[in-house]
Amino acid sequence: MILQIAEIKKSFGSRQVLNSVSLSCDKGRVSGLIGPNGAGKSTLFRIIFDLIRPDSGTVSVYSKRKKPLGGFIDKPALYGYLSARDNLRIFARMQRMDLTVERYSELMELVGLDASRHDPVKYYSTGMKQRLGLAVSLMNDPECIILDEPFSGLDPFGNRSFQELIRELARTKNIAVLIASHNLYDLGDLCDELYIINKGEIIRHGNASDLFRMASKSYRIYGEALIQSKTLQHLGAKISTDNALVIPGVGDIEAVIKGVVDEGCSVSACIPQTSLELLLQKEKL
Amino acid sequence: MKELLAVELFKIGKQRKTFYGLAAVLVLVAFIMISAFFQGRGFLDIMLKNIQDSFEFQGNLLNAHLIIYLVLNSLWFHIPLILMIVVSGFLTSEYKDRTVEAILLHPVPRWKFITSKYLATAIFSIVLVLVLMLVTFSAAYVFFGSGDLVIFLDGLSFFEPGEALRRLAGAFLSGIIIALFYAITGLTLAVLFREATITWIVSAFFLIVTTMLLKYDFGWPLLNDYFFPKLIDSWQYFFYYDIPYATIWIKNTVLLGYTIIFALTGIRVFIKRDIKP
Repeated sequence: MILQIAEIKKSFGSRQVLNSVSLSCDKGRVSGLIGPNGAGKSTLFRIIFDLIRPDSGTVSVYSKRKKPLGGFIDKPALYGYLSARDNLRIFARMQRMDLTVERYSELMELVGLDASRHDPVKYYSTGMKQRLGLAVSLMNDPECIILDEPFSGLDPFGNRSFQELIRELARTKNIAVLIASHNLYDLGDLCDELYIINKGEIIRHGNASDLFRMASKSYRIYGEALIQSKTLQHLGAKISTDNALVIPGVGDIEAVIKGVVDEGCSVSACIPQTSLELLLQKEKL
Repeated sequence: MKELLAVELFKIGKQRKTFYGLAAVLVLVAFIMISAFFQGRGFLDIMLKNIQDSFEFQGNLLNAHLIIYLVLNSLWFHIPLILMIVVSGFLTSEYKDRTVEAILLHPVPRWKFITSKYLATAIFSIVLVLVLMLVTFSAAYVFFGSGDLVIFLDGLSFFEPGEALRRLAGAFLSGIIIALFYAITGLTLAVLFREATITWIVSAFFLIVTTMLLKYDFGWPLLNDYFFPKLIDSWQYFFYYDIPYATIWIKNTVLLGYTIIFALTGIRVFIKRDIKP
């Protein structure tokens, strides 16, 4: 374990923002923190980075490195009037770290940015800024990366490649990653474990695939001739030309697909329709 | 700390607003010089009206030293105003762009970050006044030539060129303390208010009030002598016939004390307060 957060409480005035929040992160694993806007994710991250002091509770970092944690909150904050290299140079020098040309090129290559660009970063796209923000976070080799809404503003291609980059970092560099998002689909494929936060409380925690399965009550099946399927009609599925939205019983999706295929329909894909609302319910799913 | 200070100076040198501030100061000096060139003769006539019939004046009285003196007089409101706006922007822009937050995500102690900001601000203020001094002296000598300095301060005083230069240089150097005081106050206001527009308004208000209180009689000697609005005119003492060095030294030392207190207040507030967007 590299990071442990125990029983964090925080109020702003009379409004309680975090209530006994606990979570932990392990090396080489990606942990996700999912919750709607205003759930307390960014406040929790600010507390982890000691930007905000909690009313009670502890943040323990088990690392002997000079910089155990790296990351960004909301979106990467960069000096827009400076080039990528000057930005990295500033953040390096502040930490009394020497940014050699080789290290700079290595970092830029790691995050998939062109090291030869010299224009101010204010001209960079959102995705490029996210990548540069990640490069800044990775300086000084932290053991844990904390990213708040790293996918916001990214197009689907950018989103996918940024996810791959994060996964790669966790696996190859054995870095613990903690990511917050309000979008379930951002974290679905990426995380090993998930924490669901709502109104300042962690209401659910567990293996990502288990939680997703629990929160997937309906499925969208893609294929041909689905309209002829008696199985789908019997289940009251909403069927259109090439897809059908069906709500089978718990764990019965395999039986539904088998029935549809047996009826002579072809099935090309089946995508679980995970519901954040379901995950946010306090009661057992 | 050395690295953080170097970074702060690097950022100051890379920001456009630094050069806008510098340009504003230089344009102001040019404007004052042009005005002095066209209106200086009238100013001298008014000043010397009563004694023109009794004395004969030789040489050019509208010279570099009078021009520098006029620039000095005009600048102790305008320079602090520009300084406070530019300097507070060093921090408010970091709050706006959330780079304060980004820096503190790294192993950078808060006190070191904000102290380096104050040190960079002090260096910038000193350099600004020195550049101003250099430009004013150079331009005044090139365009107006040397000569005796005649001024009216509790009475008419004449200073020979060498003496005039010494006094004007002393006034400029003494002005560095005043510039420092306002710049550091501007940064402290930025720490307190964080938002650029509010900081500018409060800075301008602070400057106006201190300037108004300079001549106000509080009726209590301690306040009249040592309250900070009473300490921002030390440069003027260089033009008394006998320069009261002790008074200048005391005023500047106390003002420097206020400057340090304001800086320490800003540092403490920055360290204690949450960093929120």
